Amino acid sequence: MAISNLNQFLVQYFRAHQCDIIKNEDGVLVIQLTEEMDRTLMNRPFYWHYMKQMGQAGEPMQLTLVTNLKKEVEKGERIHFGSPRLQQIINHLKAKERFTKLYEQLPAVNRVALHPWLVVNMKLSYIGLQKKDELFSIGLNLVNGMMKTDMIDQLKHLHLQPAIPDFCYTISPLIMPGSGFKRIEKVLTTYIEEQDHSWAEATRKELLQEKELLQQFYDGQEDEDNQFEKELTQIIERYEPKITMNVTNGGMFYLAQ
Amino acid sequence: MKNMKVLYDNKFMTGLEEAMKQDGPFSSWELFSMAYEAELTTMTSDFKGFLSLKYLPHMEFLSHQINAAQQVIENMNGRAILADEVGLGKTIEAGLILKEYMVRGVVKKALLLVPASLVNQWVQELNEKFHIPAIAHRKNYSWEQHNILVTSLDTAKKSPHQEQILEIDYDLVLVDEAHKIKNHKTKNYELVRALKKKYCLLLTATPVQNELIEIFNLVSILKPGHLGSYEAFVKRFGKDRSKLKENEYLKKLVKKVMVRHTRENTNMNPTKRHIETVWVTFSKEEKSFYEQLDTAIGSIATFAKLTLLREICSSREACYLSMSKMAEKNPELKDSFHPFIKQIEQLPAHAKAEQVVRLINQFPNEKVIIFTEYRASQLYLQWYLQQNGISSVPYRGGFNRGKKDWMRQLFENQVQVLIATEAGGEGINLQFCNRMINYDLPWNPMRLEQRIGRIHRFGQEKDVHIYNFAIKDTIEEHIMKLLYEKLGLFEQVIGRLDSILEVLNITDMEQEIEAIMKSSASTGEIKIKLDNLSSVIHHTAEFEQKVGEQYGNF
Repeated sequence: MAISNLNQFLVQYFRAHQCDIIKNEDGVLVIQLTEEMDRTLMNRPFYWHYMKQMGQAGEPMQLTLVTNLKKEVEKGERIHFGSPRLQQIINHLKAKERFTKLYEQLPAVNRVALHPWLVVNMKLSYIGLQKKDELFSIGLNLVNGMMKTDMIDQLKHLHLQPAIPDFCYTISPLIMPGSGFKRIEKVLTTYIEEQDHSWAEATRKELLQEKELLQQFYDGQEDEDNQFEKELTQIIERYEPKITMNVTNGGMFYLAQ
Repeated sequence: MKNMKVLYDNKFMTGLEEAMKQDGPFSSWELFSMAYEAELTTMTSDFKGFLSLKYLPHMEFLSHQINAAQQVIENMNGRAILADEVGLGKTIEAGLILKEYMVRGVVKKALLLVPASLVNQWVQELNEKFHIPAIAHRKNYSWEQHNILVTSLDTAKKSPHQEQILEIDYDLVLVDEAHKIKNHKTKNYELVRALKKKYCLLLTATPVQNELIEIFNLVSILKPGHLGSYEAFVKRFGKDRSKLKENEYLKKLVKKVMVRHTRENTNMNPTKRHIETVWVTFSKEEKSFYEQLDTAIGSIATFAKLTLLREICSSREACYLSMSKMAEKNPELKDSFHPFIKQIEQLPAHAKAEQVVRLINQFPNEKVIIFTEYRASQLYLQWYLQQNGISSVPYRGGFNRGKKDWMRQLFENQVQVLIATEAGGEGINLQFCNRMINYDLPWNPMRLEQRIGRIHRFGQEKDVHIYNFAIKDTIEEHIMKLLYEKLGLFEQVIGRLDSILEVLNITDMEQEIEAIMKSSASTGEIKIKLDNLSSVIHHTAEFEQKVGEQYGNF
């Protein structure tokens, strides 16, 4: 589910932020920004500050993005993976879309009970000589303790809405979200422990070698400003293998059984 | 595996609980799942491999550059000396390494220490070529606030900068022209050594210049102890840099932290270059004009006169334009210029331009690039070629991107000749053409190499032919014979000149020659001084070559 069609991704992003798409042709997008998005993306705080001081509304800009890199265009920004603009949009998404609370949309016929699920998208980073990441989407039913992986792919098939649907009611959680989160962490920790960590072994070996070299280097040498300790700390920091867990985003989902 | 160090996320749950309490703000499903997609797209799912290339679709890297970057990341753990010969793209390699680390999310904070004169160039290249948001350090900027800062060693070691910089944990520190930190007794060295840094790149074209201990000092910044302790090293290898060649063990150790490519061991230029000097003789009228100009004008400075002499070797138009400008600025010159300006109008077609037409007509179906130093000559040539039924387009550094691309396209698809005044700047690639006329020679040989580099580059499939024009019995003959030919600059690749000039402490060849011209009273004096300059360069080159054989080719 990584971004496969950048043009479509951008259209979706700007529409979700209430921007009009004026043109969408052959990989050229012209977008009428809203004031909020102008402030977010166009980096002109002075303009807006000045406009507010003058008591004027201000005019949000139009943005032309070119996703078709082969196309010859007069004006417009070329946007691709790695371009600063896409970086900015991605950072904006990651920073802002952290938490959610959503309900499954159901036809209003009879009363349906909705179960609370804690959904967490968690990124594991393995950091040694090199680094790699792994992303998990885990859902935990806070009533019966059922846990599901690839949760986001299952949610994709449902209709979700921000308010509770008519005739539906939610069941109170038996597991508190905080301890639910701990359960998820525990499962992931076990997963980590069960893996082969030859990458970490290799990193530790390198750490030992570097330490030995450093010792030899300072052996019998005057070390006035305690350079040895400093270097040692740096080497440990550089080579000690570690794994970090960072939540990309997550939230509460109320779903029918 | 047990006892793996795991760092948990202890912020998320508090944030979510707070949002639940306040009942918002919550993301819509659409944006929520887009953030997930974005994470999935930007994360790095494999230890190995080179991710940054797909982020830089606008760049064409040479294989040795990618190779160097990969080697530094995969085998050297991001601590290395980049020691490619000049012109092979150390900056590009460093940019690639930095980009890769940033894409993988392991470098956020970096400090780049480069010569003051190159700060802006570094900033520009990192931004344009790599989309790395680097900025130059300015007064009152905080070192803490900005992530990728470029500054000079001199600034960095001043108070209060030094104190602040030493407090920061850098993910990457880069030092360009790292031979400035080869002496361990200097403040520069102390500073770089004391910086808190995870990864470290030292760039230098001349890793060992004088003494073997220099390489020891550089390596000790990256990997203290890698070459043993200072005393042990001096005792074992002494200070003689020739030891590096003799000692296989030492060479191997150094190779572990140093990447060095030479022109010979990169397959950058698999095709040959054929270089030919084309001697042109002035017509009678031109010759007499040149001689009068050379002897008659007593009232203008030697250097201004030289400019005019150089220009008349290029075109009447170039010379005429300068004369009018000079006369405008200094009205007292008007009288002495008047007869020349009159005479210049009577001169026939320029001897060199005629030669250009003869040469091009030998290859009626081939593309040719002409380089000239003067815009006036560029216009004249375009007109003159057109008179002779040869189609051409102009090319200048001042054209905007769109126009440049357009001219390049016209040249590739429709016209026979491209007339350019400037080779530098962002490179246009003209590998589809393999003949170049240097209508007049630049005084700085490095610029000639840049010109040739437009066509003799990665992707050129044929041998290239370079024709260097010079007019007999003029200032051009001195430059050609005393500078280019004597130094053998056409046979050897000029890239090496850079490091030689550095040894001689000459920063700009063109300024050096200008200085000679300005300070000389006669043509004879110019000749002697030019000859001396060439001899010194030649001598140094031979010496460096000998030493280079001893430590080079890592």
